[in-house]
Amino acid sequence: MEEVDRILIHALKQVGTEVAEETLSVKQFSSELIVQAVVRCIRVIDPGLGSALPTSLPPGMSARFRVGMSLAQACQDIGYKGEIGYQTFLYSNEPEIRSLLMFLVEKLPRESAEASDQPTGKSVVLQRAIAAAIRAQLVVPWLPPNCRLPLHTETQSPGALHSFHVQPLSLPHCTKGPGKNQLKVSCFTQAPLVLKMKVNDYQRDILPPVTAQPSHHASVVASILEQHMAELSAAQEWDSEWNSQGLLSRLTPQDYCSRKLSRLRKRIEEQLRSAALPPAESAFWGPRSTSDLSEILQAFRGSAPSEHILTKGTHFTHTRKFTFTQQQAAAGTSTSIPAGHQSESDIQLRQQDEQLSLQEHFQQLCSDVEQLTTDMKHMSVTNAQVLDELKQRDLGNSENKDKMQVKKKTIDLLPDTDNNMLKLQALVEASAKRVVNLASQWEKHRAPLIDEHRRLKEICSNQDLESSRKLSEIKSLHDKIRVSTEEAKKKEEIYKQLVTELENLPQDASRSAYTQRILEIVSNIKKQKEEITKILSDTKELQKEINSLTGKLDRTFAVTDELVFKDAKKDESVRKSYKYLAALHENCNQLIQTIEDTGTILREIRDLEEQIETENVSKTVANLERIQDDYKAIRQENSALAAKVREG
Amino acid sequence: MAATEAQFMLSVGLIEKDVNGDTLWVWCFPSVGSDLRQVLLSKCCLTQEGRDFHTFVFGQFCRTWYYVTTVEVQEPTALHKVTHFSIVVTAKDFNPEKYAALSRILCRTYIKHGSPVKMMEAYVTVLTQGICQSDENGSFLIKDYDVRKAYLAGSVKDVVSQFGMETVILYTALMLKKRIIVHHPRIEALLEFTRVLPTLTWHRKDWSVLHPYVHLTDTEIEDLKKCPGYVAGFVDPEVSNRSDLFDVYVNLRDSVITVSQSAKESMAMGKLHKDIGRLIVQSAEDAERSDSQVIKDISVKTKEILANLVALADKCEDSKITLQGLKQHHFPPATENFLFHLAAAEQLLRI
Repeated sequence: MEEVDRILIHALKQVGTEVAEETLSVKQFSSELIVQAVVRCIRVIDPGLGSALPTSLPPGMSARFRVGMSLAQACQDIGYKGEIGYQTFLYSNEPEIRSLLMFLVEKLPRESAEASDQPTGKSVVLQRAIAAAIRAQLVVPWLPPNCRLPLHTETQSPGALHSFHVQPLSLPHCTKGPGKNQLKVSCFTQAPLVLKMKVNDYQRDILPPVTAQPSHHASVVASILEQHMAELSAAQEWDSEWNSQGLLSRLTPQDYCSRKLSRLRKRIEEQLRSAALPPAESAFWGPRSTSDLSEILQAFRGSAPSEHILTKGTHFTHTRKFTFTQQQAAAGTSTSIPAGHQSESDIQLRQQDEQLSLQEHFQQLCSDVEQLTTDMKHMSVTNAQVLDELKQRDLGNSENKDKMQVKKKTIDLLPDTDNNMLKLQALVEASAKRVVNLASQWEKHRAPLIDEHRRLKEICSNQDLESSRKLSEIKSLHDKIRVSTEEAKKKEEIYKQLVTELENLPQDASRSAYTQRILEIVSNIKKQKEEITKILSDTKELQKEINSLTGKLDRTFAVTDELVFKDAKKDESVRKSYKYLAALHENCNQLIQTIEDTGTILREIRDLEEQIETENVSKTVANLERIQDDYKAIRQENSALAAKVREG
Repeated sequence: MAATEAQFMLSVGLIEKDVNGDTLWVWCFPSVGSDLRQVLLSKCCLTQEGRDFHTFVFGQFCRTWYYVTTVEVQEPTALHKVTHFSIVVTAKDFNPEKYAALSRILCRTYIKHGSPVKMMEAYVTVLTQGICQSDENGSFLIKDYDVRKAYLAGSVKDVVSQFGMETVILYTALMLKKRIIVHHPRIEALLEFTRVLPTLTWHRKDWSVLHPYVHLTDTEIEDLKKCPGYVAGFVDPEVSNRSDLFDVYVNLRDSVITVSQSAKESMAMGKLHKDIGRLIVQSAEDAERSDSQVIKDISVKTKEILANLVALADKCEDSKITLQGLKQHHFPPATENFLFHLAAAEQLLRI
């Protein structure tokens, strides 16, 4: 009971009831306290109902009566099924109050349910903290700069902004830092172990910590973020590339990296080589200074669509070219201006002369060019003819050579035609047979080799299938690993969060007390149940025995009675003994009856005693006295009111 | 003669495709150079993945004619693990029908016996005696396949009906020993069309300018460039971008003939060409005349022109024509141009 009361008091305190520290059980609740507690509970459960009810009993009796009625009504509205009326509050008794308070406390909405609905996770906690901080800052009113307290300058003035500058950092265990490059460069000169020690010394003694490395303090955060992002993204990229292409290529990671490196180097070399050639050829034809850059850039563009940087470059050089030519034209016109000081006719004559000579020169050049073109055409045609002739003659030569050889051999054989013919035929047949023989021998060697080749190829392709299947299995395993690590991480976070929440929970009215009590009660009930069953079985046994004994008794008496009665007619002593037997039987029956009655009466006594106990608890006598007093008080009030009415 | 004709045969090779999907050059007699072997493997349709199956293709490489017959292996057969195979016969002469027939016999022998030895026996008999027993009734005789028949096997009328008056462009290009490239996605159409074109210059009877099946690889292009004038057939549509390789481009599928910029000047055509063109079209449209008669008509006209040219040459010293000599006759400029270039082609021009 104490624990129940403690829980009730704790819950009521949470609702807002002012319970004094000494009250430890519901028995000690006064009517005032009861009313306060109930009203506060109702206010929490159902604000609509609760707002109409006062938290304290008014002094007047009828008012108190009314308040009691309304409270009882409210409790019934909420759903209390037990017997409730104004007397529960004004003339309370412990069991009723306890059950009512328990019902109300159970009805209280669970605040903790809100917290458990929100998603767990470190980032959510962080976000909630950020949201709370921003909310708090927004609540603070804006003040003009002169009125600001130092507390507000951080959040209300713009002076604290810094731009995002990044500087490279040097970390001891990073994958891409100057440390590793140094290692590569000087590994040709010193032993790697010595160098590693030196690098470690440098990192331990001389290298400043990360927060001191950037030149500007404001760049520390930015630099660290950048470094971390770069490392993380590089690791992720490598992971994804390795999982997709690297595993497929079936090489070790180092082999794969080295092969990729050589491939990229080759491509770069090719691009540079192909880009280097065209500008060299076309450099003769255009003005050097301005179009070199644009041509090189155009060559680099190649067949791929150009990037914006390159087009900007060419636009820039184009505009430069235009301005350059304009300047040239301007320069040209400026040089011709000083000559205008001399007389006009001289100038005209000289100009005409110049024009004529230039025209002659031009015509000469044109005719030269024409002549050259016709010569070239003629040359090309004759060249083609000559080449053609040469080719034909070559072919003719080789054909004739072959023919000549055949004819020579024939001539040698001519003298003895028939014999030689026969010999030749035999020779031809023999060599044909020999060739066929050789071919069959070769076939004996070749066929097994080809079969072997095909068989091995089949095995190879089967193995390829196997390995690709295993590769896909490995991939799926990788995925599973990834998923499981993520889940494990999540669960770790949830666990940490729950641990912190648990620590933050209020320590009083701990759950362990509840659970322990419940377990104790359960074990007690179990024991009692056992005992009850034992008693029941004992009782059953006894009852059975009683029944059997009674039956035996009856039968024995019947037999004895008959036996004795038979002899009683003849003998006097037998008659006396029969009378004694009957009396004995009668007395024993009475004794048994008395014992049974005693038992029943004892049970009744026990029941009555229990009733007296329960009635004593509900302090009926005190309540009756109070009711009588209150009744007298109400009568007095009524008479007072009646008098007032009569007067006024 | 059977003997000299048999000397034209150079080698026979065997390419197999097996159940693993590999295409291998498995056997040859007597020997095939590695360059030629590479080319032959590329011509064989078994190496070209997923494309159609060409039963018979032929072409020229390094003045060697090759004839590739491809067969799908079907039961009953002595060949295991082989799904398809090709027999390649190389020879010095152009005679597709002869070598197709020979290849068929060799294929059947190979399928039946499963060993190239038997096939080689048949080949050697043809080589030594010019005759070979075939599975079908009768035997294969070399002398049944005259080269003239091979030359005349195509149909000039089809060419003229497809191109009409533009056939005279082809005629001019062939006469002037220009470089003609024909494109069609199907190799059979290419082979059929290109083998007819040298008939337009029947007086030369020169089929060595014909390269009916060429791929755009370095070795083949190098070999092609060695010939001053050629008729080359390409399946690859990329060849239309290679203007350095042709003077006349024929898109056979769309029936479009294009003359490249560099050759426009030498291929200028005038009244003479119009006459020739009209003659060709008239002769071909005549349903009564056969292909060989059409060819004969064209060659008669050609001989006429050549006779004129020779007459002109005789008038000059050392019977060689010069441009000045031509100019004296005041031909129309197109005709003069044509005669000048024709003289160069016929080696009548003074150097």
